[in-house]
Order: sequence, then structure tokens, then C-alpha cells
Amino acid sequence: MHGRPRKASKPEEEAASAAKAVKLRSLQSQFMKNHHDKIYTEEAIELSTKLLEINPEAYTAWNYRKLAVEDCLSRIDSDPNLVNSIFDEELRVVESALRQNFKSYGAWHHRKWVLSKGHSSIAHELKLLDKFQRLDSRNFHAWNYRRFVVELTKRSEQDELQYTDDMINNNFSNYSAWHNRSVLLSSLLAQNADGFMPNERIPDEYDLVHSAIFTDPDDQSGWFYHLWLLDQTLNVETPLLTSSWPSHGSTIILSGAGCLNGSSSKFTTFCSESGSFPLILYFDQAVGGVSSSTVTIDSELKGNEDLVWEPISYKNSQVSCVWVTHLKYVSTDLCEYKVKIRVGNSPGIVSSRGHNFRAPYEFVFTAHVHDTVKDSQEGIVSWTDGFDIWDAKSKDLNSLITLDQLQAEIDFKWRQEAIDSEVECFGILSDSKIGKLTLARLLMAREAMVSDDAVKGVRYEEILQLYNDLMALDSSHYQYYKDEHSVAFLHKMTSSSESLSRHLFRYRGMNNLVCLRLNNLSLSRIASVEKLLFVQMLDLSHNELHSTEGLEAMQLLSCLNLSHNRIRSFSALDSLRHVKQLKVLDVSHNHIGKHSVDTTRYLCSSPLSNSEWSQDDVGRQNPGLVTKYWDAYFVLRDLNLKQLDIAGNEISGNEFSSFVLQVVPKLVWLDGQKLGN
Amino acid sequence: MSETAVSIDSDRSKSEEEDEEEYSPPVQSSPSANFEKDRHLMYLEMMYELLPYHYQSQEINRLTLAHFIISGLHFLGARDRVDKDVVAKWVLSFQAFPTNRVSLKDGEFYGFFGSRSSQFPIDENGDLKHNGSHLASTYCALAILKVIGHDLSTIDSKSLLISMINLQQDDGSFMPIHIGGETDLRFVYCAAAICYMLDSWSGMDKESAKNYILNCQSYDGGFGLIPGSESHGGATYCAIASLRLMGYIGVDLLSNDSSSSIIDPSLLLNWCLQRQANDGGFQGRTNKPSDTCYAFWIGAVLKLIGGDALIDKMALRKFLMSCQSKYGGFSKFPGQLPDLYHSYYGYTAFSLLEEQGLSPLCPELGLPLLAAPGI
Repeated sequence: MHGRPRKASKPEEEAASAAKAVKLRSLQSQFMKNHHDKIYTEEAIELSTKLLEINPEAYTAWNYRKLAVEDCLSRIDSDPNLVNSIFDEELRVVESALRQNFKSYGAWHHRKWVLSKGHSSIAHELKLLDKFQRLDSRNFHAWNYRRFVVELTKRSEQDELQYTDDMINNNFSNYSAWHNRSVLLSSLLAQNADGFMPNERIPDEYDLVHSAIFTDPDDQSGWFYHLWLLDQTLNVETPLLTSSWPSHGSTIILSGAGCLNGSSSKFTTFCSESGSFPLILYFDQAVGGVSSSTVTIDSELKGNEDLVWEPISYKNSQVSCVWVTHLKYVSTDLCEYKVKIRVGNSPGIVSSRGHNFRAPYEFVFTAHVHDTVKDSQEGIVSWTDGFDIWDAKSKDLNSLITLDQLQAEIDFKWRQEAIDSEVECFGILSDSKIGKLTLARLLMAREAMVSDDAVKGVRYEEILQLYNDLMALDSSHYQYYKDEHSVAFLHKMTSSSESLSRHLFRYRGMNNLVCLRLNNLSLSRIASVEKLLFVQMLDLSHNELHSTEGLEAMQLLSCLNLSHNRIRSFSALDSLRHVKQLKVLDVSHNHIGKHSVDTTRYLCSSPLSNSEWSQDDVGRQNPGLVTKYWDAYFVLRDLNLKQLDIAGNEISGNEFSSFVLQVVPKLVWLDGQKLGN
Repeated sequence: MSETAVSIDSDRSKSEEEDEEEYSPPVQSSPSANFEKDRHLMYLEMMYELLPYHYQSQEINRLTLAHFIISGLHFLGARDRVDKDVVAKWVLSFQAFPTNRVSLKDGEFYGFFGSRSSQFPIDENGDLKHNGSHLASTYCALAILKVIGHDLSTIDSKSLLISMINLQQDDGSFMPIHIGGETDLRFVYCAAAICYMLDSWSGMDKESAKNYILNCQSYDGGFGLIPGSESHGGATYCAIASLRLMGYIGVDLLSNDSSSSIIDPSLLLNWCLQRQANDGGFQGRTNKPSDTCYAFWIGAVLKLIGGDALIDKMALRKFLMSCQSKYGGFSKFPGQLPDLYHSYYGYTAFSLLEEQGLSPLCPELGLPLLAAPGI
């Protein structure tokens, strides 16, 4: 493999290509010699021009020219005419190289280099770009260069927007033009530039994209732009508080360890050994800066002056939708306390995109501290019996799922109108797959904006039907639709207290704990958790779940049934590590251990570095087992489980059971068997 | 193709394409329905012996072409067809070294040259006058060494890693060569893969590279080569594979804790899936024709985020078959002559599809799956 030319079949071709190769080789070697000896004479530079005209890919030659230009400039004492002629020559060489191959990275970069030296004529550059973009309207080098020139010369974004108009009118399939349009508009909308107020501008953009979509519904460009527009319509920059536990106006009952003394209260009861209870704030987007200075708490509960707020997310991230702190109480002080929370009291809560939580929000709840009976026996939790139907007439539920700071603050009218008109528009396109999908997304967005109880939730049936149709029509993307179907189902279920109460039970075995039963619903994804923060017992058995993502917000959860799902590994249970109250976990009859996980890569990089486990007892005593079951180890050691069911998975067996006992020494029940001592 | 292995758009020089049109055979009436392993082997062995003149403008990328051939042979289960020692010696002969410790601080990068023509001799003072070490060539050199089973811990990588930092920019991106050059995601990926293969992250500031990558995600879910640019299959691969190599995203991102993930995986999934066109192949950008290499660039991203089950594999296979040359190798578009770049990414794509008899793929390195470093 030494780059010798292949023998061509005809003699004249052979001669021609041989001559070509000889010429290139000799040019190349002369050029290399010049470069090596730092020769920057006119002839030497001319030689590199020739080389680049034949082969624009020769980046060494581009770099040589940069050195040559610097050398020339140092010799001519900044005579403006000479300087200009030197740079003009560079631009000319680039242009002819681009004619040879307009995808040459080196040539485009050389041009940028010349321009960044302060030598440019915007008119000329734009004319050149027009020429290239006419030849290939999708050339991303040209589009990138265009953005570079615009920024360098401070050309107005409005003028550039006009250019995308022209390109789109010329060919609406040109996604590069749509892309540039979205970049420009994002910037103009963010500045609230004249004529670019979202409520005025976005409806016009919908009209524009309709003309593309309705001309050719099979073209993706318009659909992507439509998705972006929908995002702009829904996207409220200011972060808002979506829900909390305890919620506004609610009453909770607190007690110490064990069971409550003979109470069958209708209120939410929370038992804790540590004498504290969680306070959860759920925001509509990830925020940072939740602290005892941005959230003030006014109550007679003692010892809660310097609360530590934690984001519920990956360990290094300081932003999250969910924030939690723990309020202390003294279980012997039988009393009723009012607790007043003020969120955003002082500025500092900021969304990950940099927008401030603007409107302070206040809510109040009542906490009863009750007497407790110590040392209830550690009975096994059964998922098959002991459940009473929830009293649907109970008014408690309303206060449990009252949502807090919603639409009131925000200008929703134009957004609702825009979505309404889109829904109407896409009703007629709904026989195509993308038409159905768009309609389903629009309807979901519309439902999220409804605050009037009378019309709330009326369109969920339609959404579910659309996703059912899509699953049947487009089997290759079945799982995607399935997930969306699950999300819509859960939104529907939580949209009213009536529909939610159908799934609520009380579990006698544990002090009438509120149990939400969502079994046998073929759910593949979890959603609407912000409305389920009060749930302490959750039955998700016999579904199609792959992971527990989302459950981390349910800080009160103490019993969870995930049996008969599609969990493939312990790392899919990662989010449970944040649920510190969890005592009972059933993951029996899943696929854990069926698919081997490539552990080698984890031993060399995160998340499980050797130093992390080699220091604790299990890691020291049993490095082999930890290596083998690293994903189980990583999750289980952070939980305080009393009861675990793991049977019916590939991973289960004697070896794994003994490993579990080492990692979770406090475990009482394993696979239905009471453990010794 | 530009100067890199991760060159995205397979942009070959125009003269080359003209040549191809000239010799273009009639479109095969019925492309083979099978992966013709023996023909591919023949094709690669032929290329190993002698490169056709079409590649002369690629002289500068000699190591890259060698990587496609040698790693390609490994995918076909024929790594024994190359002489390991000869290849290792040849590859190592391209490595650049500083003349002394002091010059490590001179801002240059001491990696691998792309070819002999960019390799200058040391002058009479013992100085390396023109150091053309390039990130992409360095990635390819290490890839070849890794694939042939050369122990990477034996090579002198200290100066390589220390000097690579010189290429990283304030925004976290990398230039490919110390003299200067375009900075974009391709070279962030090269740097990450180099650190990963050498099992040392001393060559880069991971955190700032991560931030650069995140700045490249577009509103549609894909990644552009530079911040603000249009989503592109190759750039998206560079972004996701780099994040994986650096340990910022884990396996099966989609079914894990994606709400707190640093990127938006469901939007990315959506974008990737929409790149599978009606003909079954993958396109690099919206409304572009399907192209063999994106079966790998996008397919590997889907694999990395745990969304590969959603690929229409039958349709993809059918498209790739229409790009399989009867002489062995794969072409960019159906019915054209094959080239090394598209052949290699054809093999990686078939490995992703778990074709029998092909080595399994390590998607984040774009190489056959081998033992991880340090094991």
C-alpha cells in the first residue's frame, strides 16, 4: 500500500493518470521542501497554490500559506494596498479550491482565518455564499460560514431571517434554512425585538409552516419546525412550583416508630423512626438554588432553623425538578402545628436555563403529632390481600392533589388560542402517522393548559386512541408510542380526584396506609408523579416497565411492588436510591440478570470506581461478588430494605441471596422467608 | 473526505467522483441478499496490497485508510491476515516526539503524523521543525495498534497526553493540529477516544469538553458540529460517544434516570429515529439521501442510548445490501462503486445488526470489541 496508481485498463488512460500522479508527486515534494526550509518567495507560494488547486485537502499547504502570509505582512510595513492584495490572493485561492471541492474543511477554515484578520468585504462574501448555496442549498459548511460572516460583520438578524424566507420559498424541503430560521428567531424572540413578541410572531410562524406541511405532508422539514414552534408555544421560561407535599391546606399526622395508636384516620399519616418528615417541592423544570434563604419556613416545630435542601438527581448535579428537606418534630409533644412555607422569598431559585423563579408563593399545612405504640411486630407485607376500597366521597383527596402555583401568573391566552387553532388544523391530517402523532402531542399540550374542571380531561380518550392507532400502524416504533400511551394514561388517571380514587386503597396491614394500585395496566413508563407525592404504597405489578425513572420524587414511598415487569438490571432501579423511606421492594419475576452487562468498562471509569467500594466491609471481604453484582450492590447498599422479593429473575439463587444478606444486613424477609436472627 | 477518520460527510474530492462516474458499472439488477463476507475479504486484502489511484488526494490520510483496512479485516474475522509486527512498527514510525522536556511547553502537539509526506526529518540541531501531528491520525494510529493487539501501555504516551492539552480551546473544543484548524466535535471525540484508549484523562479537561458538547445540542435533539449549527449524524455520534467515553452518560440511558440526564435523551431518540428514511437507510440530516455510513453514525448513537431496538433492522439491512458491491465493499449510495470509508462503516453497521460471523462492535470507539484497557 504505497499509493502507486492502479493500472488502468486502456493505455491512454494509464498514461494520463500516471502523468497526473507524477505531477502531483513532484509538486508535493517541492512544496514540502519549501515548507521545510521556510521559503516564502513568490514562486514558492505559487507552487502551493497549484497544489491546492489540484488537491484542496492538503491541509499542510493551507498551514504553509498562513505562515507565508504572516511572513509577507512582516516585510511590507502595513502598506494598506499591499496588505489588501495579499489577502485578496488568499481569498482567490480558497475560492478556486472550493470550486474543486466545496466540502473542503481546510479551505473554508482558511477563509475564516483571512476574515478574522480583519480583511473582508461583506458584500463579496455574501455574494459568494449565494453562489455556493444556490449550487448546494444544504451545504453545511456554507451555512456555518454564513453564520460566521453574519456574526463577524454584525449583519442584522432580521435581514438573515429574510434570507431564510427566500430559501424556504424557493424549496420548503430545505431543512438547513428552517434550522437557521429557528436559531435566528430564538434569538429575536428572546430579545423581545420589535415585531418579535412571541404572542404576535408565533401565530405567523404557524401559518408559514402550514403551507409547507400541507403542500407535502411527507416532508420532514416542516414537521420538525412545527415541533420547535410547539415547544416555543409551551415553553414558559419562568420556573413555577407545580406541587408540594404536604400540600396547601392539608393536615398530616406524624408519629414515631411503629404503628399509630388505634387510629383509622382519614388523613395522611407519616411514621418515622428519625423523628422527621420530608417536605417536597416539585417544580415544572429543573431549578437550582433552593435553600433555607430562598425558602422560609414559619412554624413552632423546633430545631428547623438551618434546613438543608437536597436536589433529587444525580449526585453531582445541583439542579433538579424535585427538592426535599426534612423537618424535625418531637414525637412526645402531642400537639397541632401550623407550618407556613414561603418559596422564593428572596431571589436565588434559578432554572437550568438561567431564568429566575419570580413570583413568591406561600402555602400552609397543619401537622398533628400523635402518640405511638412502640415495637409493632415486623410482619410481612402482602400484595394480595388486606386492601379496602377508598371512600370515594372523601374530601381529603382534593387537598392531597391540589396543585399549587399554576397558570395564574402566566399569559396563557395566546398560547391556548394557538394550540386550539393547531388542533383544529391537524384534525384533518390525522390519517397519516405523523399527523396522528402531532395531533396527539397537541391535545396533550392542550390538556396541560386546561384549568377549568368542567372541560378537564375530556380529550384523553382521543389521545389514547391516537396512540393505539399508531401502535397498530407503525409497529417498528411500537415502544415509543407505547411509552407515550402510558404517559397519557397516567395524566388522565390523575386529572381528577374521581378517576384517581378508583385506584386508591387502604392497606390494613400497615396502619391503613394509602395504597395506589396501578397493576395490570400495561404501563411502560411512569408519569404524573408530581400529583402522587402523597403515595406511600404503590403497586405497579404486571406492567411493562423497564425502569423506575420518576419514582425518585415519591419521597414518602415505603412499599413498592414491581413484580412481573421488564426490569433488566439493578441499574434500572437507580432512581430508588433516592427514596430513603423504602422498606419493602418486590422485583420478582423480571428480567434481571438475563442480559449480561458489560462490566469491564465500569471498572475503568465511573460510576463505580474501585476506591468507592474497596473501603467498605463488603467490598473488602468479597471483591469478587461485588464485581459480579456491581449494579445490585450500587443500588441495595443505599436502601434500608426490610423486605425484598427477587425470585423469578435469572440473577436469583443461593449465591445472590447470600450476597444480598451481606449488603443489606437489616433485611428481615427475603422471598417470603423470614431470615434468622 | 477531509483529513479525519471521523470526517463526517464522506466528502471526497470532486475529481474522484468524476472518475467514479466514468467507470460506474450498470446498476446491479438484483443485489445479493447476503452479506458476502468472502468478497469483502478479497476487497480489503486487495486494498491492503495496493491502494488504487483514486485515493491519491488522500495521501495525507494514509493512517486513516490503513485503519479502515486493518480494522475492517478484524471485523471480518481476519486479523491474522496482516503481519502484526510489521504493522505496529510502521504505525509507530509516525509518532512524533519532543526533542526535550522544555519543548513540551511550546504549545505543540506530539502525536502521530498522517503520512510520510507530512513527516519532516529532525534538523541538524535535533529540532523537529514542522510538527504535523494530527488528532485524527493519532486516533487512527492508536485504533490500529489496539485492533492488532499491540499493548498500548508499552508505547511512550506521556508527551502525547501532556501536549494534547495544548490543543484544547477555552470553550472546551479541540483543534486538530497545533498550527491551527477548525475546532469542532470531531476533534473532541478524537481526544476523548485517545484518552480512553491510553487509559489516562490527563490529556484533556473533561468538564470543559462536556460543556462544549452540551452547547452543540440543537432544539430538534441532534447535535451540530459547532454550537448553533444544524443537527448532523456524524456530529451527534461524536457528541454521544464522547460523553460515554468520558463517563458522563451510562449504558441504556433511555431506560435509566433520563430526567436528570445531562442531555435530552428522548428528544435525541426522536431525532435519530426520524433519520431512518423510507428506503430503510439512515440519512445524516433531514431530507438528505440515505447513505451507508450513517447506518453506523446514527445506529451507534441509538445503540449507545439504548434505543437500538427501535431501528427497523430488516429495512436497514435491505438498504445496506443495495450498497454492497459485487466486487466486495460498500458504496455511499446504492449501485455505485465501493470505497474504503463506506466499506468500513458498512462493516460496522452489519456488526451492529449482529450479522453472523462478524466481530461484535464497540460502538463508542467505532472499533471491534476488544478487551477494555487495564484489564
